[in-house]
Amino acid sequence: MRKSSLIYLILALLTLISAALALTFGPAKISSQQIIECIFGICSTPVNEMIIWQVRIPRVLVGLVAGMGLAIAGAILQNTTRNPLADPYVFGIVSGAALGATIATITLGNQLTVALPLAAFLGALFSVFIVVAISTALKNPEQLLLAGVAVSFMLTAISQFILYLGEPFATNRVLFWLMGSLARVEMSNFYVISGVLFISLLVVTAYHRQIDALLLGDESAKSLGVNVNKLRLLMLAICAAITATVVAYCGGIGFVGLMIPHIVRQFIGVTTLPLIIGSSFVGASFLVWVDVGARSAIESAEVPLGIITSAIGSIFFIAIMLRAKTK
Amino acid sequence: MSSSANQSSLIKVENLSWQVNDKNILEKISFNVKKGEVIGIIGPNGAGKTSLLRCLLNHQNNTTGNIYFKNKSITQYSAKQIAKSFAVVAQKSTPIFALSVFDVVRMGLLPHKGMFTLDSDYDRHQVEISLERVGLSSLINEQFNVLSGGEQQRVLIARALVQKAEVLFLDEPTNHLDVYYQHQILQLVQSLNITVVMTVHDLNLAGHYCQRLLLLNNGSLVCDNNPDQVLTSQHLTDVFNLTCHRDQDPITKSPRVSFSLNKHSAADTNLNKSAPASGHINQHLLQDVHQGNRTPSNIS
Repeated sequence: MRKSSLIYLILALLTLISAALALTFGPAKISSQQIIECIFGICSTPVNEMIIWQVRIPRVLVGLVAGMGLAIAGAILQNTTRNPLADPYVFGIVSGAALGATIATITLGNQLTVALPLAAFLGALFSVFIVVAISTALKNPEQLLLAGVAVSFMLTAISQFILYLGEPFATNRVLFWLMGSLARVEMSNFYVISGVLFISLLVVTAYHRQIDALLLGDESAKSLGVNVNKLRLLMLAICAAITATVVAYCGGIGFVGLMIPHIVRQFIGVTTLPLIIGSSFVGASFLVWVDVGARSAIESAEVPLGIITSAIGSIFFIAIMLRAKTK
Repeated sequence: MSSSANQSSLIKVENLSWQVNDKNILEKISFNVKKGEVIGIIGPNGAGKTSLLRCLLNHQNNTTGNIYFKNKSITQYSAKQIAKSFAVVAQKSTPIFALSVFDVVRMGLLPHKGMFTLDSDYDRHQVEISLERVGLSSLINEQFNVLSGGEQQRVLIARALVQKAEVLFLDEPTNHLDVYYQHQILQLVQSLNITVVMTVHDLNLAGHYCQRLLLLNNGSLVCDNNPDQVLTSQHLTDVFNLTCHRDQDPITKSPRVSFSLNKHSAADTNLNKSAPASGHINQHLLQDVHQGNRTPSNIS
């Protein structure tokens, strides 16, 4: 067995173990034995059945695919723009989702079960549309990032202005949503995110050699027959679809797309396929454990996911900077 | 024009022009490239050397004139077809991420691979053979970023070999390299036995390693011939605006040129005659060039 296959196998096992262990965490005391019985046989009580099948399993599964999706989106963006700081947040995708969610919350009041994720998704696509429109004029990956940052600030300013004018209850609701949580997810969310991820991974696998060619520069990629601008726009659209779907159901979860590919690159490789496979497993495990932390940190309350990921992410980057300085 | 007109042309360029904002970058350039030739494109900075290379690769839009490859217009080839026939070794590339030598050479497989095909053992073998040909098989797992400039160029040539291209284009392959690596790279290129078109700054290297030279100035083709006919004092003095002295390398018998700073007169010299006196500073410069301490490009 090749070294890389062994690493993937270990990562897959760790992800599986993480998911299984995460099922044992929660306010209700349910033993591992009862959980195994519930999944593979008959639950001892209807309450346990409801907690396991309607709360914990959807939550863990959505956590897995959300972490996977954000990490993959970050990895694709970093490789296609040759920028280790590229992240779905930088491209304004989350700001667009926030704008959509803000407008829905302010205008629709309580009818938000379907409307909030849908509006967030549309908002994310809207932001990508603007970034792509600007980037077609610029044709430069560095400027593409700057365009994303500019769009992000612009959409955030609009959201904040709407929230400023809106009622406090709606403002609170949007702010909590923006902090990110897996508390309200359902099995249907898992299916939607998985579907988007599956299609995205197919496309990325098809183009993995072309994305690799970009790593040595645009001119080098062109000489290998790559249509650089089209490829970059296609990958941006893929990342937008993944991030918009995740953000729509889980809210804003920062730093996963930035941090996970960075770690994976150190241990597995920089080319697209190893990076994507490694980021999938590490991202999935990471978010599942962050969610466990979010549920367990404070008794009878949950810490929003975005707060934990941002805290870990910022410490992680300070550590990287300090390490780079000592080298 | 070319001395070997009877051979069939692999690439044929007819009246190629390219304008940007009314400025002529290339103007009515015509020449042929025959199979197996090693052609050098020379000229001062801004002469259009790299632009010509980009046009030949079909990377430049809005050009006029025609470029044919195997008697078919280059515009009729898809990007993938061109990549199967033309390989490029660009000037120094510095990837942001820590690509390994294997990763870089493996990129050459791209034009020959379908969308969902993964690397096979045969592909890995191809990469290893190519690295062996450029003498770098021991560095296969090293980081590309930490290699010397000469080693990086050889890795990129190995990538071109994996690409199995018929024509190898090199853009200033000896830039940033010391004298040892300059000769090593160009000897390697010569030994590949494929058609080569390269831009070269160093006229003495171009004269020694190329069978034919294209001298460009202000986007126009001044001369297209063998090095002996192109590297004349008259041509080089006119193009570089410096007094050029031309003689023959006593060991390699290749044309050898050197420049002095003030433009007085062009003078062809040979080894039996002393170089014309063109001032105190110029004599020192000439001495330096002849000793291999300086190249004409870094004097000018």
